[in-house]
Amino acid sequence: MEHKSEENLRLLQLEFVGKILAGFTHDIKNYIAIIKESAGLIEDIIKIEKTPKNKSEQYIEIIRSIEEQIQKTNDLFRYLNRFAHRMDTQLAAFNINESLEELFALIQRVANQKKITLARDFQRDIPSVYSNPSIFQFLIFSFLEERMTNLDKNSIITVKTGIKGSSVGVNISSEGVLRVGQDVQAMIPPEIRTFALQKLTGDISESNGNILITLPVSR
Amino acid sequence: MKKKDIKVLVVDDEVAFANTLSQRLQMRELKVGTAYNGEEALSKLKDEEPDVMVLDLKMPGLHGMEVLREIRKAYPDIQVIILTGHGTDKDAEEAKRLGGFDFLRKPADIDHLEHKIRKAFQEKLERTMTAIAFAEAGEFDTARKIIKEEDEEQ
Repeated sequence: MEHKSEENLRLLQLEFVGKILAGFTHDIKNYIAIIKESAGLIEDIIKIEKTPKNKSEQYIEIIRSIEEQIQKTNDLFRYLNRFAHRMDTQLAAFNINESLEELFALIQRVANQKKITLARDFQRDIPSVYSNPSIFQFLIFSFLEERMTNLDKNSIITVKTGIKGSSVGVNISSEGVLRVGQDVQAMIPPEIRTFALQKLTGDISESNGNILITLPVSR
Repeated sequence: MKKKDIKVLVVDDEVAFANTLSQRLQMRELKVGTAYNGEEALSKLKDEEPDVMVLDLKMPGLHGMEVLREIRKAYPDIQVIILTGHGTDKDAEEAKRLGGFDFLRKPADIDHLEHKIRKAFQEKLERTMTAIAFAEAGEFDTARKIIKEEDEEQ
């Protein structure tokens, strides 16, 4: 009973983190929007005013560069905002491809640092699943983090999605050399696996360094 | 109809954003006003109705969704485009259900927003023309009467 209550508190804490993060990303997106409109306004003025052509081209090029950075920042914050909202509810219908794309965007920097390629092989028009969106991402992250830590440079981790009967499956495999002393079978820490199985309404199986997660299609 | 005849009201609590966006839309030959919260927006409607309202959601005081609800009740001819930095898919569905014309996320491309405003205005014009045509043919009243009779029978 005590254990259960602590677990519920942890989940509430997760929702709290999500709410704070969602509010924060909202504010940032507002500021990005202001910067974008200000840059755009300068461009509008340059076009209207009779600025010498060589100068106006130079100014517009600088504005384009600012806009490019705004776009990149905005994309990251859009993913972060969605990620924060994954913690809104414990069970919900969601698209697995979108959820994975979002997670990839947020951990891409780590993969780049470790020179590991995160490859996607997503089935298009995949139906939504009904599960715990936050725990799903947590499970995938735990697995990817373990792989990225234990695989050597230039390895490839492939995440594949597809329909399996009345479920949607996510298969993660890797190609590359494991660092010395690493066990190919040791992947998801057992406590995370047990926790995820309790919350996900789906199944997890692991073999030969691959992992398969199946979640029920949303009715 | 001249371009400047399209009246737009930008409603956003971020003053810098509302002002800059208004300036840019004015440069695109739209007649633009601004309001910095939901209450001010509704108050401005009493003096002059815009054709299109560009409305933020998360504002102190009256939430954008509440403003949209009020507009649907009291000013059904105004087209509302939601422009928010806080848009979840659930918000987009809710705005659609409440009769919002479109749902855009910040930061939006100015040309895209301008296109949506003109499209919203065009749809408003077409709706008005259809209502006039029905009214002139007397079919509008007949249609309402039939619906009323059907309701009474149930």
